[in-house]
Amino acid sequence: MADDKDVLRDVWFGRIPTCFTLYQDEITEREAEPFYLLLPRVSYLTLVTDKVKKHFLKVMKAEDVEEMWFDFEGTPLKWHYPIGLLFDLHASNTALPWSITVHFKNFPERDLLHCPSNSVIEAHFMSSIKEADALKHKSQVINDMQKKDHKQLWMGLQNDKFDQFWAMNRKLMEYPTEEGGFRYIPFRIYLVNELMGIPRIHDSDEIPSKR
Amino acid sequence: MSDNAESLTETQKDEPSTPQQPTEDSGTADEKKKIDVLLKAVGDTPIMKTKKWSVEKGRTVQSLSQFISRFLKMEANEQLFIYVNQSFSPSPDQEVGVLFECFGSDGKLVLHYCKSQAWG
Repeated sequence: MADDKDVLRDVWFGRIPTCFTLYQDEITEREAEPFYLLLPRVSYLTLVTDKVKKHFLKVMKAEDVEEMWFDFEGTPLKWHYPIGLLFDLHASNTALPWSITVHFKNFPERDLLHCPSNSVIEAHFMSSIKEADALKHKSQVINDMQKKDHKQLWMGLQNDKFDQFWAMNRKLMEYPTEEGGFRYIPFRIYLVNELMGIPRIHDSDEIPSKR
Repeated sequence: MSDNAESLTETQKDEPSTPQQPTEDSGTADEKKKIDVLLKAVGDTPIMKTKKWSVEKGRTVQSLSQFISRFLKMEANEQLFIYVNQSFSPSPDQEVGVLFECFGSDGKLVLHYCKSQAWG
C-alpha cells in the first residue's frame, strides 16, 4: 500500500477546471456572470457547488429559485455519479474548462434523483462503500468498523482530507493474503450508448480474485 | 427520478406471461428476462401478503419501491428503505437484474424493506 501512495494522492487530488453558466431562461434581476471552479474528481456535484449556488442567487429572487441542477450540452448530470466519472462519460473529448449549465427550475424528474441535503449524499456514498465491501469482504470489514469510523470516511471526503479518509479506507482496501484476499473485486462499468450518447451502468461486474 | 409503478408478476400463480410476449416453451425466455425477488419486512413494517415476486431484470429499485409502497397503501409522505444483504441501500436507479447477479443466492434476490432506516 505504501508504494501506491503517490498514485492514491494523484487520484484523490485530481481536479477538473469547470465554468458554470446560468441557463439563459432563468429569471434574473441583472446579468449573471459565469462562475469558475476546480472540481474534485472523486467528489459529488451537489457536495462541492455551494459557492456556485451562492454566486447565482445574488442575481435572482428567492421565489425564482428551486432545487439547483446541472446539465452538459443538454444532458442532465446525475449528481450521484462521481464528478470524474461524469466528465469522462460526457466531456472527455471537449476542451477545458468543462462548461456546465446551471438550472434552478424545471427539475428533470425522470433523469435525476433529488438531493435535498448533504445527508442524502452521505447516505448514497456510504451505501456504495457498503455494497463494495459486501463483495470484497462479505461486509465483515465495514461492519467491524465503528460508526465514528464511517463518519470519518465521509468527513474526509466532504472536507477533502486525504489522510483522514485513507486512515479508514485502507482497512477496506487491505486484502490479507492469509485470508485469501478479496472475495470479489467490485467494478462498475459505464458504457456510453453511442447512438444517443446516454451513459448507463452496464454491469456491476464481480471478478473473483486470484488465490 | 419517477417511474410508473406497474404491477409485478407473482411467482406462485400459474399464469402465462403477459399477452404481449410471444409464447415460450418451459418459460425459458422468462427465466432470462425476469428474476425472483423475495421481499422481507423489517421491524414493524407491514408484511406483504405476497412475498415472492417475478421481476423484470431491467426494473429499477425505485420502481420496485414505489410498487411496494402502493401495495402497502402507504401515505405519500412516508418513506420506504430497501436493503440488500441487510447491509446497504442500493441506488434507486440500479436495475434489480444487476443486483441479482452480484447478490442473489439460491436463485433469488432477497430484499428487506422498512419504513425507517434499519441499517443506515
